[in-house]
Amino acid sequence: MILNWFKIFIYHLKQNKLFSFLNVLGLSIGIASVIFAILYWNNENAYDQWNPEKENVYVVLNKIGTTGDTWATSSIPFGETCKATIPEIDKVCFLYNWYDESVIKFQDQKILDKKITLTDENFFDFFPFEIIKGAKKNILKEKNSAAISEEQAQLIFKNDDPIGKSISYNNKDYTVKAVYRVTKPSSIEPNYIFSGIKRDGDKDQWGNFNYALMVKTKRGTDASEVLKKMQNVNYVNRTVKDAKAAGQTVEQYLKENGEIKVILNQLKTSRLHGTKSSGGQNLPEGQGNLKLLYIMGGLSVLILVLSMVNYINLATASAIKRAKEVGVRKIVGATKKQIIMQFIFETALITLVAIAFALAIVELSLPYYNTFLRKTLTMNGGEFYLQLILIFGLVLIFAGIFPAVYISNFETLKVLKGNFSRSKSGIWIRNSMLIFQFGIAAFFIIGALIVNSQVNYMMNKDLGFNGDQVLSITYNTKNRLTKTQDYFTAKQEIKKIPGVVDVTTFAGTFGGNEGSSSGFNHNGIFVQPKNIEMDYGFLDMMKIKILEGRDLSPQFASDTVNGMLINETLVKTLNLKNPINTMITSGWSIDNGDNLKFKIVGVVKDFNLTDLQNKVSPMVFINLKTLKWNNFSRVLVKVSPNNLSETLKGLKSYWEKNVNPDYPFDYEFVNKQFAKTYEEQVKQKNLFFILNLVVIIIAVFGLFALASFSMERRLKEIAIRKTLGAETDILLKELSKQYIIFCLMGFAVGIVPAYILLEKWLEDFAFRINISVVPFSISLISLLALTLIIVLAKAYQVTKIDILKYLKYE
Amino acid sequence: MIKIQNLTKVFRTEEVETAALSGISLEIKKGDFLTIMGPSGCGKSTLLNIIGLLDSASEGSYKLLDQEMIGLKEKGRAQVRKENIGFIFQNFNLIDELSVYDNIELPLLYNNVKAADRRKKIEAIAERLNISHRLKHFPQQLSGGQQQRVAVARALVNDPKIILADEPTGNLDSKNGNEVMELLTDLHAKGSTILMVTHSDYDASFSQRTIHMKDGVVFSEKLNQRNVDVFMDAK
Repeated sequence: MILNWFKIFIYHLKQNKLFSFLNVLGLSIGIASVIFAILYWNNENAYDQWNPEKENVYVVLNKIGTTGDTWATSSIPFGETCKATIPEIDKVCFLYNWYDESVIKFQDQKILDKKITLTDENFFDFFPFEIIKGAKKNILKEKNSAAISEEQAQLIFKNDDPIGKSISYNNKDYTVKAVYRVTKPSSIEPNYIFSGIKRDGDKDQWGNFNYALMVKTKRGTDASEVLKKMQNVNYVNRTVKDAKAAGQTVEQYLKENGEIKVILNQLKTSRLHGTKSSGGQNLPEGQGNLKLLYIMGGLSVLILVLSMVNYINLATASAIKRAKEVGVRKIVGATKKQIIMQFIFETALITLVAIAFALAIVELSLPYYNTFLRKTLTMNGGEFYLQLILIFGLVLIFAGIFPAVYISNFETLKVLKGNFSRSKSGIWIRNSMLIFQFGIAAFFIIGALIVNSQVNYMMNKDLGFNGDQVLSITYNTKNRLTKTQDYFTAKQEIKKIPGVVDVTTFAGTFGGNEGSSSGFNHNGIFVQPKNIEMDYGFLDMMKIKILEGRDLSPQFASDTVNGMLINETLVKTLNLKNPINTMITSGWSIDNGDNLKFKIVGVVKDFNLTDLQNKVSPMVFINLKTLKWNNFSRVLVKVSPNNLSETLKGLKSYWEKNVNPDYPFDYEFVNKQFAKTYEEQVKQKNLFFILNLVVIIIAVFGLFALASFSMERRLKEIAIRKTLGAETDILLKELSKQYIIFCLMGFAVGIVPAYILLEKWLEDFAFRINISVVPFSISLISLLALTLIIVLAKAYQVTKIDILKYLKYE
Repeated sequence: MIKIQNLTKVFRTEEVETAALSGISLEIKKGDFLTIMGPSGCGKSTLLNIIGLLDSASEGSYKLLDQEMIGLKEKGRAQVRKENIGFIFQNFNLIDELSVYDNIELPLLYNNVKAADRRKKIEAIAERLNISHRLKHFPQQLSGGQQQRVAVARALVNDPKIILADEPTGNLDSKNGNEVMELLTDLHAKGSTILMVTHSDYDASFSQRTIHMKDGVVFSEKLNQRNVDVFMDAK
């Protein structure tokens, strides 16, 4: 029986080579898109799942009451007090929630590594990586201990035993205690782990939120109970004490300042579903992009549905050609079930071929996809193959069963009498599916247009600063404490390099989220503005405008003592009518003295420092020399556009000789730096564009095939009309009319979800376009044009038939 | 073998009710060769389709091998059909995409006959109908007469109790038509039960008994004497 089915299947495959090929191709594109989504999904959901402690480990976040920001960091006394007073907590671990980038030295080797984690003695209890060599326990307990990953051990020590060797990091010597193997994917995948994160000066500083904190609870502990107790630690040690210090009752204090709310993210779900900190990075490997994951998943399923609809449409339309066969089979004794089985069998074969095609497509384009996601996904794992089988099953059910049942229901008598080919059966289903396809196509076109215009908007938006010809160069001095002094010396030298126009710096990065902020109270309003410590000339070089007052200037000696600029947003937040000369008590103090007072000398026009997803934060601007925090990490150099490569060469040799020979010369144009903040959206735009192409190709092919089938069924009608004197243009109109109506109906179906979903996508941007009618009109016009071209071309071909042939037929 | 009593078939559309058959009674015994004749629209094809279980009657009784067929579900009808009835059509109804061999094999496949037995049966029937050398060909490569012989082979391969032939010579020239009629006579002589619908008196003359129908009723029935047509033979 199977052989018999197979013969017929092969026969039809050969007969309709083009349609069969396109049909398989459409289906395989749909399946490939789902495979892409699955690979991404599997990877994101695999984070930390290897970790046996994933259910007991919680990442601690703090929602700061006064600003509403969520920080991924905590203070040392908070963590220590929690450990000491809450019996359910087994251990706590402090670490940096970012990787340090530094030079590791061993004898005369120097290696710049970008994945260094500084932590405390408990790290391996939280992330129990496999230990390959060295101590299995208490690895980081002793001061200045280090553990290194397998690859790095190989890199530095070759075949020697690394255990007990001394390596140097940040001018400090550490002893290698263990070599570990990172289990991926993990929220932390460090190359080097060093102990000794807790700075002595921070031990009693409840306000220094410098450290990421993880707590491990004892087995079977109720997390909400622990959370309550941790919240209480904050209340007792901070809120009550601070209220007392401010001379207020606790209620009054809470009302004015709010309180710090503790949030616990279980490691098991932290990556994708955990609360995100305002910086976006809770642990060094960052957070999963749940939104992108949903977008990918949703779009890929949509494409698969589209291709299945196509398949169903074609299968039912071409079924008419198979009607006689089905009739004969029924007469010689086939039951309905057997007919259904036969056609499901055919779908199964096609699906298998399509899956093979899809795997080839994925294999070939995986590198591009990996670049897009910045991942290294591969196709393997038992789970993946199970999912493939599941896809196979689903396609078989949704695309296979319907046409099979439809075909098996052909009435034997009608079929064999030969008047079946013009029957209208199943036509409404095909038409509604066509409308559905038009809907999906409209959705994709509108989506691509809107994403495109948002990205264009971001690329062309006036950012409030101008970074043309400004280089941002990493500045690592040998001694951090003399950084500012060193900078001023270096500045004079750098200015002498030919091609350099100007040199300045500030504590922050364009397009970056780092930088400090400090809160203060003014007239009962609490604010937490970003601290911009800058060199003179910074605003000028970046073409940032001053709205009122003046820039800080070396002409006023007081400017390095109590002169301050604030930005428009801060003026608004503080409700200042006449900001100039207003005195402000800052959140800063020197050596436990009183909080410093500042005079506002100017108002800076708002500019976008971080990205366009967030609003402009309130900012204060003070001179580099005022607090001497040495907090800046980059130097801005404006260069002349001529002879750029010479200038770069000069800068490079200066840097390598004079700044810090351990670090390579690492520069970037400020404009490019900022462009990175919308890199993600540019990629989404490109993704949408590619998907759009795919969708339109599938839809166009579906429309063409369906129009061909239904017009060919009307050949006799056309022949009769022609005999009666119908002219070509009337026939064309007659034949195309319904498709235009379907196109319009499909468009109507597509616009509502398109509007809602894209409005949701745009919600993420503080600086965004409004959805106008333009993308909708363009989409409608292009959809109509496409439909007309296809349908008219086919209709024209049909009207040119030989009348005699079709009138004589039958 | 077949006993039909008071069989009625009514086609209903929104406005008209047409009785295709009104109260037909008929009996066919094992080994009979019966012809139904009549003008277009007299109901003869409808009767044949009901007997072939392709269509259902509105009223009356139809017993095949003493089993009541009226009211049988689609599944049961398919079961009875594949075991007992062989069809021969005017337009052959061969599957063009399958070879002659595969076409003849179909009923055996649906009756779950073992592969080795299938081959034997097909070869035997092909031998009998003189189409052994055509087994690998496709229907479109054969002449009309050969195609009809393949159709007959397919109808017979499963040893049906009764053969239903719907104008078996209608698409054939007289020479090929004659061949097919002789084939049927031959089958009858070997004991097959045959029910045939035709327009042609000549074809009818091959059978034992002819029923004339008009407007859904049987209005005459006669026994045929097998008479040799001098002119046909002279040709």
